[in-house]
Amino acid sequence: MVPALILLTILFPWAGALLVSITGDNHPRLQHFTAVFFSAVSGVFAVILLLNTLPVWEGIVPAWVATDPYFSIPLGGAFGNVSFMADGLGVYLAAIATVIGSLAILFSVDYMRGEKQLGRYYAYILFFIGAMAGLVLTANMLFLFFFWEITALCSYVLISFNNDDPKAVAGGIKALIITQFGGIGLLLGALLAYTVLGTYEIGVFIEKAPLAIPAFGLSIAAFGFLVAAAAKSAQFPFQTWLPDAMEAPTPVSALIHAATMVNAGVYLLARFYPAFEGVPGWKEAVIAVGVITALLAAFMALVATDLKRVLAYSTVSQLGYMVYGIGVGGIFSSQVHLLSHSVFKALLFLGAGAVIHSVATRDMRAMGGLGKKMPFTRIAFIVGALALAGIPFLNGFWSKEMILESGLVDGPRIAYYLMLFGAGLTAIYTFRMVAMVFFGKPRSELHAHDAGLAMKIALGLLALGACTTWLFTGRFGTLLAGTLPLHSIHYLGVKELAAELFTAKATYLALGVVALGLLLGWQRERLTQLTSLLRIPAGWARDSFGFEWINRGISAAVRRSADGLSYTQSGQLNWNIAGILLGLLILLILTVLGS
Amino acid sequence: MLFGLVIAGIILCAVLSITANRLLSSAIWLAGVSALSAILFYMLGAREVAVIELSIGAGLVTVLFVFAISIAGDEAMNAKPLVPRILGVGLVLCLVILLGWMVVPGLVTSDPTTELSSTDILWDVRGMDLIVQVSLIFAGVLSVLGLLSDKILPARAAEKGGRS
Amino acid sequence: MTLDPLILVAAGVCLLAGVGLYGLLASRNLIKIIVAMQILTKAAVLALVAAGAASGKINLSQSLAITVIVVDTVVAAVGLALGVQVRKRFGSLDAANLASLRR
Repeated sequence: MVPALILLTILFPWAGALLVSITGDNHPRLQHFTAVFFSAVSGVFAVILLLNTLPVWEGIVPAWVATDPYFSIPLGGAFGNVSFMADGLGVYLAAIATVIGSLAILFSVDYMRGEKQLGRYYAYILFFIGAMAGLVLTANMLFLFFFWEITALCSYVLISFNNDDPKAVAGGIKALIITQFGGIGLLLGALLAYTVLGTYEIGVFIEKAPLAIPAFGLSIAAFGFLVAAAAKSAQFPFQTWLPDAMEAPTPVSALIHAATMVNAGVYLLARFYPAFEGVPGWKEAVIAVGVITALLAAFMALVATDLKRVLAYSTVSQLGYMVYGIGVGGIFSSQVHLLSHSVFKALLFLGAGAVIHSVATRDMRAMGGLGKKMPFTRIAFIVGALALAGIPFLNGFWSKEMILESGLVDGPRIAYYLMLFGAGLTAIYTFRMVAMVFFGKPRSELHAHDAGLAMKIALGLLALGACTTWLFTGRFGTLLAGTLPLHSIHYLGVKELAAELFTAKATYLALGVVALGLLLGWQRERLTQLTSLLRIPAGWARDSFGFEWINRGISAAVRRSADGLSYTQSGQLNWNIAGILLGLLILLILTVLGS
Repeated sequence: MLFGLVIAGIILCAVLSITANRLLSSAIWLAGVSALSAILFYMLGAREVAVIELSIGAGLVTVLFVFAISIAGDEAMNAKPLVPRILGVGLVLCLVILLGWMVVPGLVTSDPTTELSSTDILWDVRGMDLIVQVSLIFAGVLSVLGLLSDKILPARAAEKGGRS
Repeated sequence: MTLDPLILVAAGVCLLAGVGLYGLLASRNLIKIIVAMQILTKAAVLALVAAGAASGKINLSQSLAITVIVVDTVVAAVGLALGVQVRKRFGSLDAANLASLRR
């Protein structure tokens, strides 16, 4: 049962991708329907898998159904086995990927109505959903890398979907290059594991690595994985690709760059945490990366004027919170925040998509007062914004408080205060964003209409999720603790969590900071003295603190060296063959000398 | 003795195939290489491969070549090679000597181990290979069909007018 | 000759590979290049079979050799189809015409 479910969750979207591209662009309604059907059914499979893995169902579910979560297909030889492990960490991320994927595809039915080349769009989204499910369910490091690369490819194609627009193409290539650079770190760790332990299996690695691999090798693997996770999740110093990736169609941004692909980095860190927590300096590096990213991105969100860019910076900042949570050892709190964030960030992006689709601009300075014309979108967006800011009784509040509490207990004090400050900044920019778009007087003449039916359904379901996912914290905890024995998960049920949070002073401190942030956001027009003081740092923030300058420098240097080296490529077939033979000769000589 | 003759025959046919002026002669000499190597396989004890090599190498591939040559034309090209002859010969000679030095002493005969029959091995142990081969043949057929079709896409047709 | 026949076969493999490689380097006609590739592949199959005969595991090497032969035939077919298309578009089978990476 479990092997079939795992394979179906991965292969069913891929079958959908094939079918959508075969249907051809002459039947758009059939393509819409096929895409929604395949993604929805994969969501059902993933949820069944999730329910099947919950330990609480023992005794209710017949024994033949609850089979061993690990299964593998032996391939014999160098690549290890095609193995999958349906444990708590994997199945809930697979469920997020497929369910939010199906909601994003449902949203695209309205958003992409009348667009050309739907086959390419849906095929790559479905391909991506299957690959993401594979990434989190696989137990073989080489296959983890394989699925990692597939998600990077789909991300590139979807960012550059409007390939007539040079900005979109540039954004796609930038995302591809930066995430691929991170992938080298992942490959390095996997190959290191194979050389020392003789196997690619993740379970074996986590158990044996701290003892079997020499300390120097383990540090290389640990920091390699950190680089890979930072590049994929757009953390410092690799955060520049995510804002430029906002050229993608908004459902793609919601799915890939808010709810799934950027979570792959956080997943990687959480999965391999027991193996690396003993490496000296690793936990501190993770905490530092998380804190710096959270604050940096929050500042940039404060001064951005493009609606999607604010959301992109916000995503980077919240991922910084998750990385910080993992660094201080709070795996459970970071995963709960991942769950909450996927839901409310997808909600925010889809809401922004509804706005952008109707007013045809992304600049917030041209918007204003749209709430009257788009009441449903306004409500959904506000729900998401409240969850982001951390208002009680929405899921963001619970998870953010859990992370801050883990940080207070286990991490360095200064990091805790900085993250608290970050929570305040989050409240400020969230309020600013909502106010600029939906309230106030309209700043320009814009035609606006409310969202279509498919959009409304997607937004409504996500808003419902934002209000309710915190109720499942207890079950989620048993799921993780029951299936991840090496991670030392400390979890609490909802009642205990509520009791603990509402009696801790730290919670009220955090709530106070958030309230202060909201107040500052509301009164920002009157705080002219404060804003003029901050004009120079704001200018730095608009230039993304010099990171764009570094990127431009690197790409210019690469282009110059490529120009210089192009003399070696004549294109003549016989010279190419001579080159191959020369290389072969050198390799053979090296082999002979080495043996 | 017989081995030496067959091997010498193979190499002679190969050299004649490369240096032939007409393409059709090259293809026929290639068929000769196939036939002689099939005999060699049989002498080494690999009977199934010998049959397959004979039918595919000397049969199917030769027919493919003859088809292609008849469509593409048989004109001899007396052009000088792009890579200077000395460089080419030198590179290949180095490679051959190095390969020979590595391979020849290494072929140590050991006692024949008890082994499954060839059909068992082909289907059970190396079953994955067969799946890969089938998909490869499928892909090959599709690509040949695509390559030999005469349909020119509209953008390409405009480009073709300006191409030399 | 008291030479072990397998040594002769090994020497033959190396020489055959050399002939094939020289053909790849020196030919400008695309179809000749494919012929040279075929010769190279036959050398590889010969090496596989010889290794099988030497170690006694002749059946395993036969399975691998069959795979190699199938693959190499598909490659030849696709290569020849490419050659035919080149002839149609460029008017000649010369490999030198295919270089468009001019500075």
